[in-house]
Amino acid sequence: MTNHWNDIENSDCVLAMGSNPASNHPISFKYVTKAMEKGAPLISVDPRFTQTSARANIYAPLRSGTDIAFLGGMIKYILDNNLIHEKYVKAYTNASFLVNPDFKMPGENNGVFSGLVENKYDKSTWSYQTDADGVILKDPTLSDPNCVYRLLKKHYKRYTPEVVSNITGTPKDKLLAVYEAYTKTGKPGKAGTIMYAMGWTQHTVGVQNIRAMSIIQLLLGNMGVAGGGVNALRGESNVQGSTDMALLFHILPGYLKTPVASLQTLEEYNKKNTPATNEPKSLNWWKNYSKYMASLLRAHYGMNVTLEEAYNYLPKRDDGQDCSWLTLFDSMYKGKFSGLFAWGMNPACSGASSHKVRQALTQLDWMVNVNVYDNETGSFWREPGLDPSKIKTEVFMLPCSSFMEKEGSITNSGRWMQWRYKAVDSPGVAMPDGDIMTELFYRLKERYEKDGGPLADAVTRLTWDYGVKDGAGRIHHFDPDYVAREVNGYFLEDKVIGGVLYKKGTLVPSFGLLQDDGSTSSGNWLYCNSYTEKGNMAKRRGNEDKSHIGLYSDWAWCWPLNRRIIYNGASVDPDTGVPWDKKNPVIRWDGARWKGDVPDGVAAPGAGRPPFIMKPDGVANIFGPGLADGPFPEHYEPLECPIEENLLSPQFINPTIVRWDEVGTGTSVDARATCDPRFPFVCSTYRVSEHWQTGVLTRWAPWLAEMQPELFVEIGSELARLKGFKNGEHVMVKSVRGEVEAVAIVTDRYKPMKVAGMTVHQVGIPWHYGWVTTNMRKYVHGDKVPEVFTSGDSANLLTPFIGDPNTGIPESKAFMVNVERKGV
Amino acid sequence: MAEKIKLYDTSKCTGCRACQLACKQWNALPAGQTYNAGTYQNPPDLQSNTWMLIRFQEMSNGNGDVKWLFRKDACMHCTDAACIKVCPSGALFRTKYGSVALDRDKCIGCKECISACPFDVPRYDPVTDKIAKCDLCFSRIDRGMEPACVKACPTGALSFGDKDEMIARAHARVKELGGDANVYGDQFVGGTHMLYVLTEKPDVYDELPERPRVPLTVIAWKDWFKPLTLLAAGGVLAGSFIHYLTHGPKDTSGDDQAGGEGGE
Amino acid sequence: MIPKKGMIKSTDAFERLVHWWLAITCIILILTGLGMMFHSFNFLGTPLGGLKNLKLVHNFTGLLFAPALFFAILIWWREAGVFKMPEDLEWIKVAGGYLWHVDDVPETGKYNPGQKAFFLAVAIFGILMVASGLIMWFPLSLPSGLVQWMYPLHALGMLVIFPFVLVHIYLGTIGVPGSARAIFTGYVTRSWAEKQCPGWLKEMEEEGRLEIYGEEKEEAAHG
Repeated sequence: MTNHWNDIENSDCVLAMGSNPASNHPISFKYVTKAMEKGAPLISVDPRFTQTSARANIYAPLRSGTDIAFLGGMIKYILDNNLIHEKYVKAYTNASFLVNPDFKMPGENNGVFSGLVENKYDKSTWSYQTDADGVILKDPTLSDPNCVYRLLKKHYKRYTPEVVSNITGTPKDKLLAVYEAYTKTGKPGKAGTIMYAMGWTQHTVGVQNIRAMSIIQLLLGNMGVAGGGVNALRGESNVQGSTDMALLFHILPGYLKTPVASLQTLEEYNKKNTPATNEPKSLNWWKNYSKYMASLLRAHYGMNVTLEEAYNYLPKRDDGQDCSWLTLFDSMYKGKFSGLFAWGMNPACSGASSHKVRQALTQLDWMVNVNVYDNETGSFWREPGLDPSKIKTEVFMLPCSSFMEKEGSITNSGRWMQWRYKAVDSPGVAMPDGDIMTELFYRLKERYEKDGGPLADAVTRLTWDYGVKDGAGRIHHFDPDYVAREVNGYFLEDKVIGGVLYKKGTLVPSFGLLQDDGSTSSGNWLYCNSYTEKGNMAKRRGNEDKSHIGLYSDWAWCWPLNRRIIYNGASVDPDTGVPWDKKNPVIRWDGARWKGDVPDGVAAPGAGRPPFIMKPDGVANIFGPGLADGPFPEHYEPLECPIEENLLSPQFINPTIVRWDEVGTGTSVDARATCDPRFPFVCSTYRVSEHWQTGVLTRWAPWLAEMQPELFVEIGSELARLKGFKNGEHVMVKSVRGEVEAVAIVTDRYKPMKVAGMTVHQVGIPWHYGWVTTNMRKYVHGDKVPEVFTSGDSANLLTPFIGDPNTGIPESKAFMVNVERKGV
Repeated sequence: MAEKIKLYDTSKCTGCRACQLACKQWNALPAGQTYNAGTYQNPPDLQSNTWMLIRFQEMSNGNGDVKWLFRKDACMHCTDAACIKVCPSGALFRTKYGSVALDRDKCIGCKECISACPFDVPRYDPVTDKIAKCDLCFSRIDRGMEPACVKACPTGALSFGDKDEMIARAHARVKELGGDANVYGDQFVGGTHMLYVLTEKPDVYDELPERPRVPLTVIAWKDWFKPLTLLAAGGVLAGSFIHYLTHGPKDTSGDDQAGGEGGE
Repeated sequence: MIPKKGMIKSTDAFERLVHWWLAITCIILILTGLGMMFHSFNFLGTPLGGLKNLKLVHNFTGLLFAPALFFAILIWWREAGVFKMPEDLEWIKVAGGYLWHVDDVPETGKYNPGQKAFFLAVAIFGILMVASGLIMWFPLSLPSGLVQWMYPLHALGMLVIFPFVLVHIYLGTIGVPGSARAIFTGYVTRSWAEKQCPGWLKEMEEEGRLEIYGEEKEEAAHG
């Protein structure tokens, strides 16, 4: 979230699209409700009429996977009706930048952008025109045909309400009602917010869905203001934190890039990753890249080794190597892995095309399953129907503490780092993850010290200062407080900066003081300032709202620098510093300095410094050349869809996605069935309030299992009539990759849609279930038996093995299925 | 002590069921094995181990629009509580907050409250031979806390406070909502201590009586026959006494001495 | 209360057994019923170990009451269940002479209309009490609309039976001396019989069926 949960309350219009916050982020609805009480309309756009829709002022259905068409139509609506926040767009975005005249867009280029070679773009034409000094040419009047604004207008000219309605299945009146309500927030002083979740990300165009909304927010001047922003509702309490801390393969903590093989030295690496700009007034914050990298390396290795050595120790990907989820499991399926730590996750249920995942696990020599309860991953070898004697994988179960049984921090969707305390001891032999990792580290280190091995020093020379040490320099109890301090970072030697002496061993007060000479450490530069000499900021519990817009700046701590609303430099008039919204100002200029939230990027009013300082050019990108699949979002059909053509262009699906289903590369588990009469219905997976993720924590909780005991599939009344289904009867949901048994919930909340002149039915299925907690399996001595059984297996047995070209996130929100009576 | 009201505003309820869970947790009510019957609503109805539940109900109107109604079903805590009226043991009692609480130790499992309740709330537990129902978290409100369900509600659909304030708030909200919105609870059974703000007319909701009242059977039983019994029995006793005094015993001795009343 | 010579047999052993069976269960039912009907009588449960036990006693006593009632009806419905016109009407007109002085109370048979009314009340409302009580015992398996009405009916039964029982006790003891003997020993004095059931006495004498204590039966009681 660029903003935070409480801030939703400040919104003048709340759009819930690609999300169902009432069910899945119930607490957020506290703030949605408050906004509504103040008169903000709530808009729910969803294929299914959800609990959120039940509260919405406007509900608009759309076919899964057509969000870009829907949003593209909104962009066109904004531009046609001149609803943009003009001053904002001109000052704070790249709307005025002139683009390379050779750049071609899908409308004029067979549905793709210029530069497509096989399934990758050569982005050389996705560039700006510059003057002799390399400064980007701009047209402040936004009239040059090659300026971003004009290109945008040209690109979305094709997204007429008629075409959009024909693609999305959204009735035109609903479409226009949504456009009209939401775009009212383009008025200066008004803010609209978007609450999105996996309904947008889990598509082959997932990133572009969010890009489309970002463009809308920029056009309407909704970024950086209270009640605005682009707000990802995370699917787990700490997904924001784990992403910040490098959960993903392509990043290191603080969104630094993972080194690749071609960057052999730290210098090369820094040079490659430090952006440059010729814009005279741009701050280009990432110019500090090398400081953050040096501090990270110091956090890993301390003063044990030089920065260069430390860099050498880091594992390096091959250039262009994709190590995202789908690729990993595809490799595992093909026998390229010998071992796996499944740590706090349940890929046998959460992985797209779970049959493939489950089969991939059988290829392993060993697997360590670290979890609170037994799950489908740890017990994959005894899934009903499998013969354990034929499976070679040796499985180790390590019971770990639940979140109530250990101390540490979580970072919520609003980027708030909040400290949590241990409430109770872990049962049995369960241990906190940190202790398990510490033990693992010492064993590995011993082994490397004894046996050596390639890059043994990378392990043996790591610092491990996460607790009180004994005489041998070894810790016996992992203490997350030490980690929190390391994450913030220390001065490793006495240092004078700006005339102030910072003593060796003291905590670095802010990332502005991090150094590239190895004199500072920081495990994550974004979190520098979270633990200062005043103490652990995440433990703060001040509940006074001095801002009057719900910032609660003394509650916990928020990255970066406790800034609650990022890009807030754009919330004021660039010339005068007066907030666009005088009622809910995020920051304001008192003549000498900025008051309110921690200001983001702005200099004094009128200084002309563009506030999007994380962008090299200082402005927000309407034209975004950084992504794999195009600088403007373009509608492509999902890999599996009910219609045979893309109504907007000859290019059917996203041309840049990585394919496993094509002849010669894939097997039956990768199969795809588009426009296939065997699988005529669009399907989405989703969640319910009562269960979490694959249900490993919630299926074992009797009260929760009691409320949602069985896998169900929601089917529209019309479709049920056609198929002769009765409400509550057991049916089989089948895709080309697998099938699950589910209870049919026949509902008026799904309606058939008119798409490309055809009637399209959509169904939906939650993915929380798994065979381990059913009564259809065998329980042997020592197995925990659920107090309340659930029924049904993972809905991911149905989902396709395909992902977004930028992130690799699987397309589990739009695929094709059939629903049949059981036994047919 | 001021009377308290729990206000439930259906227009703010999202059906997340945090309240349902909180109720089970605070009251330590065990879960039971359930099945999906084609609805999110589960358990299917109030039970001795489920004192409140959210009812899910779909409603389609003519032009193809659908509504999804959520209703929190639990004890309404009537002022004229039929259950208290019929309870033989005093197990069901009115608290100083106006709520209807249950002294489990006193309950004799007679089930009379079950057929008396106009809202079909009390449930019988054959294992303990006692009835069970929401007691408005007497153990909490008596210590100055709000009921567990209110505490758990994320959206503010549930609130708890002084009677007058809650009634005023309910009516203000209804005014704000307009349309078919209405306050449900203050107009009958002497006023309930769970008050609804309904977005639809009461007859739209499943299992919700449109004009709930203390059943005629209970009135006949408790307001008529019960005092009459006392009156009749007392009258007969008094009458007999007076009869004995004024008429004296009937003379059945006659002149026949055989078998005279020895020892009289 | 040992019968003396010359007394007339008015009840046989089975009658007496059924009477007391019915009477005792009825009184227990009334007392336990009162214990549940009025909170001020809840204390009646205390000696039984609580109201719950009182309820159990009430319910099971009800089960014992039912057969007694059955036999009572079987025994007495002919003698006490049918009004004989016009003499019973005449008797009613003067309230049997119980309430004001009446020179000439119309003769009644073995049971006067007051007793008949009591019998009918116990018979009809007793059946109602047993039926409604059983339904109230297992209310969950029956439609609640039906169950609901059982409670007021049960209460109505109480309203009718309880005062009648009180009257019955009064008249059976101090109100009409010599009556109690009939139901303890089976014998009454001749004068009592002449006053209380002259019609019956005459009939028995005429038929020669009268059994007199201390005398050999003149004729074997036929049938």
